[in-house]
Amino acid sequence: MGKSWYDKYYRILMLIPIILVILSLVYVFSFYSQHGDVMFKDSSLSGGTTITLTGDIDSAKFDSLKQDFPDILVRKLSDVRTGKSIASILESSAPPETLKPAIEKTLGYNLTADNSSTEFSGPTLSTGFYRQLVIALILAFILMSIVIFIMFRTFIPTIAVIFAAFSDIIIPLAIVDYFGIKLSAAGIAAFLMLIGYSVDTDILLTTRAIKIKEGFLNERIFKAFKTGIFMTSTAIAAVLPAFFIVTGLPDSFRQIFLILALGLFSDIANTWLTNAGIIKWYADAKGIK
Amino acid sequence: MKITLRTWILIIVLIFAFISIANFSAFQPGVLVKSVERNSTAFNEGLRPGMIINGVNSEQIKNLNDYTITIHGLFLNEPGNASGKIRLDITTNKGEFIFYTKNAPEIVVSDILMTKIKTGMDLQGGSRALVKPEKPLDTNEMNDLIAVTSNRLNAFGISDVTVRPVTDLSGNNFMMVEVAGASPTDLQDLVSKQGKFEAKIGNETVFIGGERDISDVCRTNAECSRIEACYPSQDGGEYCRFSFVVYLSETAAKRHADITSKLGINTTESGRYLDKKLDLYLDDNLVDSLLISENLKGQVTTQIQVQGSGSGKTREEAVNDAKENMHKLQTLLITGSLPYKLEIVKLDTISPVLGKEFTKNIMFLAAIVFAIVSVILFVKYRKVKITLAVILTMFSEAFITLGIAALIRWNLDAPSIAGIIAGMGTGVNDQILMIDESVSNTQIGLKERIKRAFFIIIGAFFTIVAAMLPLFWAGAGMLRGFALTTIIGVSVGILVTRPAFADILKKIQE
Repeated sequence: MGKSWYDKYYRILMLIPIILVILSLVYVFSFYSQHGDVMFKDSSLSGGTTITLTGDIDSAKFDSLKQDFPDILVRKLSDVRTGKSIASILESSAPPETLKPAIEKTLGYNLTADNSSTEFSGPTLSTGFYRQLVIALILAFILMSIVIFIMFRTFIPTIAVIFAAFSDIIIPLAIVDYFGIKLSAAGIAAFLMLIGYSVDTDILLTTRAIKIKEGFLNERIFKAFKTGIFMTSTAIAAVLPAFFIVTGLPDSFRQIFLILALGLFSDIANTWLTNAGIIKWYADAKGIK
Repeated sequence: MKITLRTWILIIVLIFAFISIANFSAFQPGVLVKSVERNSTAFNEGLRPGMIINGVNSEQIKNLNDYTITIHGLFLNEPGNASGKIRLDITTNKGEFIFYTKNAPEIVVSDILMTKIKTGMDLQGGSRALVKPEKPLDTNEMNDLIAVTSNRLNAFGISDVTVRPVTDLSGNNFMMVEVAGASPTDLQDLVSKQGKFEAKIGNETVFIGGERDISDVCRTNAECSRIEACYPSQDGGEYCRFSFVVYLSETAAKRHADITSKLGINTTESGRYLDKKLDLYLDDNLVDSLLISENLKGQVTTQIQVQGSGSGKTREEAVNDAKENMHKLQTLLITGSLPYKLEIVKLDTISPVLGKEFTKNIMFLAAIVFAIVSVILFVKYRKVKITLAVILTMFSEAFITLGIAALIRWNLDAPSIAGIIAGMGTGVNDQILMIDESVSNTQIGLKERIKRAFFIIIGAFFTIVAAMLPLFWAGAGMLRGFALTTIIGVSVGILVTRPAFADILKKIQE
């Protein structure tokens, strides 16, 4: 078989995700130096109160709260189908004992279990909670690496998979940071899920390219690509409705799906440009045809 | 068509999942009793949570609506007998209960649910408090704390509550209190206040809260537990006084006699009293001081009247506040104080209204995801049989996961459901992989090709389990549901549905 375009250009293709990862890393680091952390955290991770008010309330009503609670954030949750506002979400680092009466005063009625939800996290708990989730993330990453190493028992392909998983986390993180999204505990759990979710295409690629020896390497990679890209697109199609079609969902729920979607998108590039490139390079060097 | 062993296993597991999920008592008409106020008339007559009411007086009760209409009709329109009491004949699946009452029975009922699936607090509404003791507790100490707290919540009349210990990755232990459905406004006070009640005369303690000194507290009988009177207060509002009788144990009564015998007598305009008052302290704060009448001096009396007050902007608010305070104080006197000082580190109260909206939308989302995936698969493979096989497998996986969740009585919260959907996602991925392997045009046999797919599937299974495991312990297990349903989902996939799917696929391909 003569040199195909893939043989010519795979090294350049490989660089695209690598550059993306480097840019993301730089962004996350500069974010860290600016904000003292790698992400914005919501009240479940930084301590504070989230009050969800049911019904359609004019957001302008809450403007007066900014004086006493400068860090207050107001968001609206609406149903995409009907455009009807389902709830308003107010978030502040203040405890509910001070925030609740202030909101009651602004609205002119008492907050009860029928018209509102209140979530409060103490600052000490939240800090510990956040640290543990980060530890869990690191642990998950290490455990995943061990599983991959046991599966392939070769250094370079294993490193390629681990690099892809790392990139699948860092690119979505940079995007989330860029849009100023405040991450919740569930959001971090989604990053853990991403580790498990994104490596199956890498396993598919590595298995088909290296473990199986029929046909030519390029054919095998291309066949793995056809299967893998369909898998990932189906998965993306399954997670996106939580974002665009059905929006009246718990925040924790939507964040999980947003991060999975971002991760799956970056996985397409990381698996089929970088990981495939490394595998091809490795196979060529080892004389695997 | 011959059904293979592995397909049979899938069918049998599906049947088990159905048995685990379905609530067979839902086929009878009636309403389910969710809770019964302790010591209420209904409680004393033997009505208990879990019973199914199918008739009130001569009316047949088919659902919640029937119950509400019947009870409203009875207590709004009927004059009752001379004492204003109405006769109630409640027919249940456990027999008939007849009693006379002035007010509607103090019970909470609901429609009988079709499934045994329990939803979490974020979807059905309720409260959750994560409580941290001031010092680390060992297992026994934690169990003591949990016992006293449960007792206190039950005595207060909160049903449907679970109190359990949780430990996080750093080894901190907490107590988790979860109340389903209604959110009591007093939860914060009830779980975080130590509730150390002391009645003192001078520096001497007469009695404290708890069963050592207190044999009983009058609570529901209006003869000995009531709002006494209301007055306008200085700030323009109102305040109301309550009083109720406490029955002391022998030893506490003797102590009372000893201490009062040493006191002198004061003569005031309103009568003759002992020269020291009975001071009531709650968590070291003085809540009230009561005059002790002269004739109690040196008496061994087992009945003590305890008083207190409540306030509000209007008369109604003041009465309610007084009632609430009385109820709290009675609860603390019965159950005694918590053994440790506590801090609430997390307190969430979720509105049932919002939860309902969320549940509805999640169902809708699941339907859309199913539809989209079906369309994509059909467009790709152009085969109804294959598309159906994937969709049915996807559905089986979710259904079996729900069945296991119902079996282990797991409360499905939003992250748990996200986990089920994510698990389904990996399921579809695996099936796509198997289909692609099975149609690949090579010399080796179909069996070998599917075996190859399994190598990848098993690898993906272990990575996802490895990634989810740490979540079981991180952050006091708040995200355990997410990890649990994902792991159940992928395990069901690899053990039950994937092997069956392989067989079905072979049948379709042949």
